Amino acid sequence: MLGKSLLIALWAGIAGIDLFNGLFHIHRPVFTGMIVGLILGDMKTGLITGATLELIWMGAVPLAGAQPPNVVIGGIVGTAFAILTKQDPKVAVGIAVPFAVAVQGAITLIFTAFSPVMHKADEYAKNTDIKGIERINYLGMLILFIFYAIIAFLPVYFGAEAAESVVAKMPEWLIGGLEVAGGIMPAIGFAMLLKIMYKKEYMAFLIIGFVLVAYFELPILGVALLGLAISLYDYYSNKIKGKGSHRKEARTNGI
Amino acid sequence: MESNYTYKDPSTNNVITKKDLNKMTWRSLFLQASFNYERMQAGGWLYGLLPGLKKIHKNKEDLSNSMNMHMEFFNTHPFLVTFIMGIVIAMEERKEEPDTIRAVKVATMGPLGGIGDAICWLTLLPIASGIGASMAIKGNIAGPFIFLIIFNAIHFVLRFGLMNYGYSTGVSAVKQLGEQTKAFSRAASIVGLTVVGALVASYISLGTPVVITAGGADIKLQAEVLDQIMPKLLPALYTFWMYKLLKKDYSPIVLILLTVVIGIVGRLLTIL
Repeated sequence: MLGKSLLIALWAGIAGIDLFNGLFHIHRPVFTGMIVGLILGDMKTGLITGATLELIWMGAVPLAGAQPPNVVIGGIVGTAFAILTKQDPKVAVGIAVPFAVAVQGAITLIFTAFSPVMHKADEYAKNTDIKGIERINYLGMLILFIFYAIIAFLPVYFGAEAAESVVAKMPEWLIGGLEVAGGIMPAIGFAMLLKIMYKKEYMAFLIIGFVLVAYFELPILGVALLGLAISLYDYYSNKIKGKGSHRKEARTNGI
Repeated sequence: MESNYTYKDPSTNNVITKKDLNKMTWRSLFLQASFNYERMQAGGWLYGLLPGLKKIHKNKEDLSNSMNMHMEFFNTHPFLVTFIMGIVIAMEERKEEPDTIRAVKVATMGPLGGIGDAICWLTLLPIASGIGASMAIKGNIAGPFIFLIIFNAIHFVLRFGLMNYGYSTGVSAVKQLGEQTKAFSRAASIVGLTVVGALVASYISLGTPVVITAGGADIKLQAEVLDQIMPKLLPALYTFWMYKLLKKDYSPIVLILLTVVIGIVGRLLTIL
């Protein structure tokens, strides 16, 4: 069982990288189910369970950056449980989904913990250390590989019951809290953009963009087109007024 | 931040070849390699552009300045990103002002994110995986492979096609710009800030499940109070608060940790 668990861990590491990088989509349950079936010697159950999990995760895609329950671990661990416990695929799903939700919480922590590394990247960028930038990216993928490999190895090696009891012991406030934090996190990125780009003369457009989505629920492309319309109007009316020389920009340097 | 950077070496030569574009397209597969909450895809974005930047900026200081700018926050759809890469490389090649390049990045990343979600996650993936899964569920081993073939055929056509299209669009656009880069920078900033406003309202999920019981009546704080004042009030306030803290020189890492604590404590108190 150790050998098989290790093979599954290896596959989970590769699939975990593919979820974010490469994106060949070998991480989808329809494919991982088959591989897990191959490793555990029951291809048919692997295919069927993988396909069942695929349908469950069909709508669970990273829309607008919000991460759904982890599809890699859900697919791999779910299929492994179905084969090892000889359960109906639907029962395996019942164990796989809460497990996948917990894993997604842990990934929030990884993305948080990796943030300080960006300051090292700034330093490399400043010194034009191209190798340094590349190393940081390879390191990120290595961390993902190790994380997924361990997370897939443990429940397969120690069994479905042990996995279930661990998930049940995890406090809801921790997993739920990490999920809430993950939802808020983009605000920090937008604030950083504003710190760089914002000038008083642009406040109007920031408000317009916000209102169009908050009140009118326009999709982003629609808002961008309206922004484009405004900027075209602005551009040509300045051109007519200035005839070649553009009016001086008020560079409020609060940036 | 360096606004109005003047290039030490302002010479503009056409150094980017089709081969360079293809190389950068392959490297775009690692867009999210160093994903994190502070800069999101910035590290992988720079990783993808490096072969081009290295060729364009022979002056070390120019390259350093460009690399620093590309380490700033960036997030878009991981397939359609090559379109922005193509435009940006064309602008870098023409030594456009960093402010202008940044504005173009920000103006395009949001809309492309939305379009990419619609094309890739809501159309391509369900179709391809639906076909594959419907075969696999009957125990047919061809299912998983059919899924991969359909999905990746379109995936890679998009990736390579958009890189070339983005580059040629960028080249012809910057040619027309000529001396008007300042006006163009302003125009791109207007679109960029409009998009940031839209992103704040659409990509941050923050609401409260609190129900206030007053005299036998249940009042849902989010739906019946906050949304009545202004929809997306909390995301707007939170972004504004983060902005204020950044201006007070708080590190983004502190803000990220603060957000994690707020999430957990908020859930513990059942107010988030």
